[in-house]
Amino acid sequence: MNRQEFEAKNEEKWADLDLKLRLLEGGHKVEGLAKVPALFREVARDLSLAQYRMFGDRVIGRLNDLAIQGHRLFASTKGLAGEGALSFVLRKFPQAIRREQRLFWLSSLLFWGPFFLMWFSTKMDITWVQALLGPQQLSDIESMYGEEDTVAYLRQQFGSNFQMFAHYIQNNVGIDFMLYAGGLVYGLGTIYILVINGLSIGGVVGYVDYAGDPEKLWSFVAGHSSFELLGMVVVAMAGLKLGFAMLAPGQLKRGVAMAKAGRDGLPFLIGGSCLTALAAVVEGFWSAQIVPVETKYTVGIFFWVLHFLYFAFAGRGRSEA
Amino acid sequence: MATTFQRIDTLHTTELAEGVEIQLRSAGPLLRIIAWLLDTFVIIGVLMLVGILALVVQLSSVLGDGGTNIASGVQMLASFFIFWLYPVVFEAGKRGATIGKRATGLRVVNEAGTQIGWGQSMIRNFLRMIEVFLPLLPLVSFFHPRFRRLGDLAAGTYVVYERSLPTIPLSGPPALETVPIPISLSREEQAAILAFRDRSAHWSEARRAELVDHLHPLTGARGNQGVEKVLGMGRWLEERS
Repeated sequence: MNRQEFEAKNEEKWADLDLKLRLLEGGHKVEGLAKVPALFREVARDLSLAQYRMFGDRVIGRLNDLAIQGHRLFASTKGLAGEGALSFVLRKFPQAIRREQRLFWLSSLLFWGPFFLMWFSTKMDITWVQALLGPQQLSDIESMYGEEDTVAYLRQQFGSNFQMFAHYIQNNVGIDFMLYAGGLVYGLGTIYILVINGLSIGGVVGYVDYAGDPEKLWSFVAGHSSFELLGMVVVAMAGLKLGFAMLAPGQLKRGVAMAKAGRDGLPFLIGGSCLTALAAVVEGFWSAQIVPVETKYTVGIFFWVLHFLYFAFAGRGRSEA
Repeated sequence: MATTFQRIDTLHTTELAEGVEIQLRSAGPLLRIIAWLLDTFVIIGVLMLVGILALVVQLSSVLGDGGTNIASGVQMLASFFIFWLYPVVFEAGKRGATIGKRATGLRVVNEAGTQIGWGQSMIRNFLRMIEVFLPLLPLVSFFHPRFRRLGDLAAGTYVVYERSLPTIPLSGPPALETVPIPISLSREEQAAILAFRDRSAHWSEARRAELVDHLHPLTGARGNQGVEKVLGMGRWLEERS
């Protein structure tokens, strides 16, 4: 059988499958739906034959496209909407954190180390933080946590609660994504952003201790601190994973190691940026409310404990899938 | 058993669960850079549009002070979503392509040519930010046999042509005679001769001759005579099967 005979014999079948696949992809009803898989397998066999006989680009290309189209349709793996998200929150995310505990502590150390270092440096020598933050930022801190009312200052800076929320989403979640991408430079980008954040946040705390009213700062940040700082540390885990894979792929090829690190780090990227987004909600709609300081501290501690319980116990005993 | 085309083409063979082998056609850097530029224009355009809308609301102050706040808040959120999530959403979608990729006929797929997941799309698009930031990194894809950049490696994705093989609208010059091939050729070599016949319509006469001159030891001729011979060999191969 030469190419012309092969084409003439099967033309009708191919056109039929092509039409049916198009209809199915568009979500339309198809007559004789039960026969489509069998038809697809027949065409797949035609493709093998055409490849073996080298019937040329035109025939092979057409059959190849049909096979890919059909495979796309039959192999689609869609679960119920929301099913994946629920099992992620209840099980997969905390399980992944527990599985990678050492990475979590490493990432935490990279943030909290510089944080406390900078904070304590203000007790010894205030010039360090002055050099780090610069006069503009220092005067901002002074007006925010100094004589002025913190909430009134934020209102004047950001307008409404909603606007604050939007600002924090854009800024903080964006930083998370850069934190992740920084892993691609052998993890250096991730480490850099993490350390710089530790230094400057620690510097702010220290400077408020020195020149402002610490209670204003703590009562403002208490509510959202757990979400924001844990979110950052967790996203950094995904970036560090990528960096390690590039630096020390072990017995795998570098490309394979990166693909594995990408897959394994995904829960940290998604989970961590969700935590940061939640932080923006709390920061925008709760932290700037006028509420007694004790309530704010209580809520803040409550959220920290909640995070601890969630990471330590959620999904424990369930099979890891 | 498919023919290996890797040395004459950018096709890559993958075996599916059905036992059939499909071929995906990897897209090269030039087309992908064009697609990226188009997407960048789309993003900048939409961001400007959102900015203008927010400005109009603020200036006209139809909504009062609260309206101004809401407008600028919405603008910030919209910028965030457009900047970070536009490519993620489009590439995880059914078409597997951003607007720029669709315009250039490209698509992002899995190993088996299927739609990629949300996570994969996030990985490859977020990592692009650092690759663009450090201009040397995208060059890595020039050296990968399937033109994958680092983000593709981490996400396990491939950028391929929407159509796996070029459609051939023109038919090449017909073979005037049947020329038997005096030696036995490997399947890849046979495939190369047939591919030459199928694609020769797209090349100038001089280019055809230039390619065929490499076969001088086999054909014993150069220039147009060589082309005739090779086309004849293609015909012989086809008649024989």
